[in-house]
Amino acid sequence: MREHAMRNLAPALLCLLAVACGGDFSNDDLEFQNALPQRQDLAAKLPDAASRSGQGLRSQQVGLQVLGGTSELALQAYAAGTRFNVSVDALLSLLELFRNAPPTTRETDRRIWGPYPDKDHPGHEVRFVMERQGAQFAYLLQYRPTGTREDAWWTYLPGTFKADGGIRKGEGTLALDLKEARGHGFDTGDATSLDRLDIGYQTRALPTRVELLFTGAGATLPLTRYASRQVPEGLGEMAFRLPGQDLVPGGLLETLDILARWTPDGRGVLELNILEGDAKGAKYTECWDSRTRITFLRRNWDFINPTEGDAATCPDVSALVPKP
Amino acid sequence: MTGLVPAPVRGLVTKLRASLPGFGLAFALMSTAAQADTLHRFALIAGNDTGGDDTRPLSYARDDARKMHDLLTRLGGVAPSDAKLLLDDDAKDFLTALSDLEQRARAAQTRGERTALFVYYSGHAKDGALRLGDSRLAFDALKRRLADAPVDIRIAILDSCRSGALTRTKGARKAPAFDVESGAARDARGVVILTSSAADEDSQESDALGGSYFSHHLASGLLGDADRSGDGRVTLFEAYSHAYARTVADTADSSAGPQHPTFSYDLAGNGDLVLTDLRASAEGLVVPGGAPAGSYYFVDPGGLVVAELDKTADTERRVALAPGTYRVKRRMSDRLRIGEVEIARGRTTVLEEPRLKDAPFSDDPVKGAARGRDTWWAFGLTGGYQSFFDAATRQSLFLSVPLFGAEAELHDYFRRDWVWGFDAAMGGTRGVLALPTLAGPTYRYSVVNLGTSLTTEWPLGRVAPFVGARLAYLILGRQFEDAAFPDQRFAMVSPGLVAGARLQLSRSVHLTTRGRLQYLQYNVDAQRSLGYWELAALLTYAP
Repeated sequence: MREHAMRNLAPALLCLLAVACGGDFSNDDLEFQNALPQRQDLAAKLPDAASRSGQGLRSQQVGLQVLGGTSELALQAYAAGTRFNVSVDALLSLLELFRNAPPTTRETDRRIWGPYPDKDHPGHEVRFVMERQGAQFAYLLQYRPTGTREDAWWTYLPGTFKADGGIRKGEGTLALDLKEARGHGFDTGDATSLDRLDIGYQTRALPTRVELLFTGAGATLPLTRYASRQVPEGLGEMAFRLPGQDLVPGGLLETLDILARWTPDGRGVLELNILEGDAKGAKYTECWDSRTRITFLRRNWDFINPTEGDAATCPDVSALVPKP
Repeated sequence: MTGLVPAPVRGLVTKLRASLPGFGLAFALMSTAAQADTLHRFALIAGNDTGGDDTRPLSYARDDARKMHDLLTRLGGVAPSDAKLLLDDDAKDFLTALSDLEQRARAAQTRGERTALFVYYSGHAKDGALRLGDSRLAFDALKRRLADAPVDIRIAILDSCRSGALTRTKGARKAPAFDVESGAARDARGVVILTSSAADEDSQESDALGGSYFSHHLASGLLGDADRSGDGRVTLFEAYSHAYARTVADTADSSAGPQHPTFSYDLAGNGDLVLTDLRASAEGLVVPGGAPAGSYYFVDPGGLVVAELDKTADTERRVALAPGTYRVKRRMSDRLRIGEVEIARGRTTVLEEPRLKDAPFSDDPVKGAARGRDTWWAFGLTGGYQSFFDAATRQSLFLSVPLFGAEAELHDYFRRDWVWGFDAAMGGTRGVLALPTLAGPTYRYSVVNLGTSLTTEWPLGRVAPFVGARLAYLILGRQFEDAAFPDQRFAMVSPGLVAGARLQLSRSVHLTTRGRLQYLQYNVDAQRSLGYWELAALLTYAP
């Protein structure tokens, strides 16, 4: 009986071991997984005051700014920063889903996740492809109708990454081709007015940089630009250009160029330049305290009383000024 | 009784008497019927499987000693309090025990009792000395000690290699079996020495018998097979002649060649000596005279033959089996007859041969290799080190790690000196990634190493070198401290070779050092053939 049991035990054990062989112990996998930026690295670092004072924009128009009153421009800047973060986060969350799964196919300098059926787009399947050339990585989020040929894959999200800054840090690009998506029958939701969203970033070393470029439907050049920077002192910056704003009464819409900078405790300074429109050439500067109350303002169009408050209350954000 | 001796044997004895002057006279003096025994008997029984560095460990010396102790106390008239059983003890213990028995014997003599001392030894002997582990007891010293013992009769039975050297000066005989004759009862005094082999022969053990040939046949004879006179008592000469004939027959075709027991005597008185009284114990088995003649074997539940019986027609025979259940086998030319008997305590069981059933030879209840009988387990703890040969691999993929674990060894399961091992070990270390595009993340690297191995040993005294093969199941993993990277794991079957040496530190404790060379097929990033080595020390305990 014992011999019989022993005879059966050995092959059973071998079968069990054969099934339990393999795994995901891979250095290359780690390098590919490292070639996607972290969500928090691309997010604009907003001061805590931004969340305390509410992220919703109270008014789309810049109203009368009163010394000691709440800085509507600061709130707008923070709200824009929040929208910026949401946009970036949505893209990176999608990529993170693939990154967190082991690749389906491992080839030399290439990894493929999928194809998987796409629940959000029935009848389509999705895959994520990453390729490596030295320290340069390129990746593609691709879709195709289920059951079609290999050449039917089309790219919804292309990206690049140069991994030379440590854990998931480096320099790269990321884009969302909304026009291509609509061309393949995808519903792009709230983004129908956009053809493309491009993100460029540098997270290798401070000051870090993240830039979003929105290209409107039918446009050949980006219309709207958001940019965010951080420096070692913890200062934050957001620059954005907003065309088509009806800032002052008149027949023309204004194009605003806004540069907002803030300290970690929520104090900030903002410069607004009107590049086009009825108030072209107007320049406005505003400082606020940690409770988003205006402490200083300057208007170049007010010859009688161009400044209010004490300029010394403005925070020192000179570290954000690019070095020549 | 001479009428019972086959004519060819009688003729042979006649020739021997003619060719060896003096032998016939002495033989005649001793070949007397067993007398009613009133001797106060003492027994020293020793068994030792080891014999020092230059000898190969025995398997059954201790078992033989146990059997002999059981026989002498159950059937040999030796009170348990007058018997000493030494297992794996050294020469000093042996002499101490002998002194103790001598004191008792002296006290018995003072009371006017006749005394006899049995000394049985199973173990190694070499270069003119018994080898009790690492200690030695010279033949000459033992003989002098026996000669000086304060007893009337001294009987030494030595089951060891070249033990015939002990009897050589006394006329060791590669003689045929003794002719057991009846005669007047006379007292016997002096020294009797039985050895299992001649001075230039090895004594052989048998896995099938679970003991040495000589001790097995001596014991079987003492249980009844040697009682050729049929008087229910087995005398010294009956037992010896039986053991001699069967040992020579069984070893005739062995690779070591035939083994010839020897016998020496120096009896001042004369007369035979009853070694076992088959009726001393009420229980036993009777094979009635009407049962068919032939060879009967009595097999214990472990598949070992504990007694044999060569029955002649129309003679009742008794086998003094201990209480228990036995399978009875009668070998015929074309088949076996097999049955089971229960020996109850205090009762005599009569074998009913018609109740045995025919069976093919393939159903032989005797285990050919005695598997299970001689296997033994050892359990231990191990510590070692594992490292891959390829530098890049051990620096960035599978790191070098210390391993600690537990092992179990099954010795002599498949065959003698083969060891089936089962091992499990774990290890780990900390690492820092250093890849072309990713450097800096720290992680915990871990190894789980499960394996089974089959090795063959070459015992050389206390040291046993070994080589063999091993099949491992290796589970390698790493956990990153940075949550940016997932845990990784790789598992694979890994064949390899193993070699080393086992050192016996004590009877139950062994220290093993060994090295392994293993192959690993890595198939995640690419198909790569990798090799790694392991060095380890293992401390085992054999219960």
